[in-house]
Order: sequence, then structure tokens, then C-alpha cells
Amino acid sequence: MATTVVLAEDSYLMREALVSILGNLEGVELLAVAEDYDHLIETVEEHRPDVVITDIRMPPTLTDEGIRAANYIREHYPEIGVVVLSHYLEPDYALRLFREGSSARAYLLKDHVGDADVLSAAMTEVMRGGSIVDPQVVDVLVEARVREKESLLQRLSARELEVLAEMATGLNNSGIAEALFISRRAVEKHINAIFTKLDLSFEESTHRRVRAVLLYLGEGQ
Amino acid sequence: MADVRVLIVDDQLPFREASRMVVEMTDGFVVAGEAGNGEEAVEMARELKPDLILMDVQMPGIDGLEATRRIRDLVDPPPVAVMSTHESGDYRHTALEAGAYAFIPKSEFSMDALEGLWRQAIT
Repeated sequence: MATTVVLAEDSYLMREALVSILGNLEGVELLAVAEDYDHLIETVEEHRPDVVITDIRMPPTLTDEGIRAANYIREHYPEIGVVVLSHYLEPDYALRLFREGSSARAYLLKDHVGDADVLSAAMTEVMRGGSIVDPQVVDVLVEARVREKESLLQRLSARELEVLAEMATGLNNSGIAEALFISRRAVEKHINAIFTKLDLSFEESTHRRVRAVLLYLGEGQ
Repeated sequence: MADVRVLIVDDQLPFREASRMVVEMTDGFVVAGEAGNGEEAVEMARELKPDLILMDVQMPGIDGLEATRRIRDLVDPPPVAVMSTHESGDYRHTALEAGAYAFIPKSEFSMDALEGLWRQAIT
């Protein structure tokens, strides 16, 4: 019997690449593709797949949707395995994924999923209740543990720091998008991640922008 | 105005196919060719003389950074934008050092991003 899969990924390039990889895997049936949190949950409830493969940052907040979905699925459909796909250097997300238990969960880096064997092995492992963490993420987790007294800014990825640096020059989101030649949506995604990592998620929107810049200017220079 | 001819370089077929789709869907852009490794990329850059090269980093043989260096040594080299699944990190810096004019994470690549990269290339 084929392994049934629901995929969630909002980036076009990654989504199409993953659809193609899954399409070439023998014994795998891709049931549906979601592009945001709500659609992912609806799709899981409708199809009850064997495995969910999900990006972390997706609409609506572009921060931690994949982790929240994995935890929701554990609560409501514990039999479903979840493979979370991440960019490098997001150890906080890995910790949050495994905090609720590591069974039937895998955390892979996106630059390894182009290798169909890696993705296939992760799917097999979560289906039998096991777990996999990408070795590079383990290294990062160990490093993070070593320097526990990190500054707030060290929580940010290099890209997020670049966005924050542009924000500090006074640019609005369109200006930042232009300066880093990325889409406005990508800028919003980074900014939401910055707010989350700097613990500014619950501030009013104007305040947190200013506070993020102040943190940057205070610590970053 | 003639279409912008893009050379796509990536060792992983699914990513080449997805990049091709983005290029083909963007008005004014066409795929000049696809290379699956660094050596092929340099050879195709020389032969096809594309207007823009989208270059993956991690590839077997010479990687995207070395391929970018070699392309910069060609006569009248086309602009190289380095793409990676990594979100920037050290790659941005090394990509620019290798001679790329831009770095973009694969997750941010889209029709808009392609147009933005091209605007950047010609200014």
C-alpha cells in the first residue's frame, strides 16, 4: 500500500521541487499540497495521511506554523508522522518540535531534501514512530547549548540581521525588499521571524519595529 | 526588447525544473540552458553567452562558487546570481567575493525575485 503524504510549503521553488521529488518516489502518493497553516490543518483532517511534510514559516504569520501544525497533529492525530523542513540555524524550532515528544517526528534541512533518499528515509522513520534530526542541526544545538548566555541578536539568522540592518536605516518594507532584491512578502516573513526571536511578538506593531531597531543599534554595532 | 536568456545551474533536477518553471512563467525571460554541475556551467556560460546565470552553491565537482570565479574570468562574463537553500549565512559574503553580484535563498526565488535580480544586474 502506498504511503500517503500531505505537503505544506509556501515557497514556489521548494514546493515544486518537493512535488517532483515525491512524484518520483516509488510507493508514495501525494494527496494534497497546502500553502498555509489553516489549509494544512484542513487537508490533514480531510485526508488523514500517513505522513505530513511541512515547511516551518508559512502564512498567516510566517513564523512557526509548521511547528504548531506538528504539535496540533500530535495532539489530534498521533498516528500521523511529521517531517519538518527547515533552513539552517533554526535550533529553537527543532527544540520546540521535540519538546512535545520526539516520536514520529523528523527535522531536516532543506538543502538535504533534494536527495530523495534522505526524504524517503525520514518518511519511513516517522511512520514507524521513530525520529530523525539532521546532524547539522544537532551540531548547532550543541553549540547553542555551549553559549547559553547569548545576546538577543545572536538568535537571528544572517539574513534576518541583514533585514534588521536595512530596517535600522529607516527603510520601509518595500525599500528593504528593493535593497535585498527579495519580495515584500519575504521581507515580511523575515520581520515576523525577527519579532518572534526578539520576543516582540506581542508588542504593538509600531513599537516592536522601533524596539527591534533599538536592540540592533544597541547590540549590533 | 529581446528576452532575457537565463542559464540555470543546479545539480538537483527537481530544483532545476522548478527554476525553469519560474523563468518560463516570467514575461520577458527564457531558459537558455540548464547545467547540472560547475564544469558544465562554465562551459555553457562560454558557449551560450546567457544574459543571466542562476547558480546553485553545493554541487559535486567544482561548486557554484568556483564556477562563478571561472565565469568571471571569461571574456565579457554574464552576471551570476548565487542561489542556495541556506538563508544567506556566510554564503552571501563568499558568493559576492567569488564574483556573484547577488545572493538569494531558494525559498525567496519567485517571478518577482527574478525580475528584481535582472533589474539589479543591469543597473
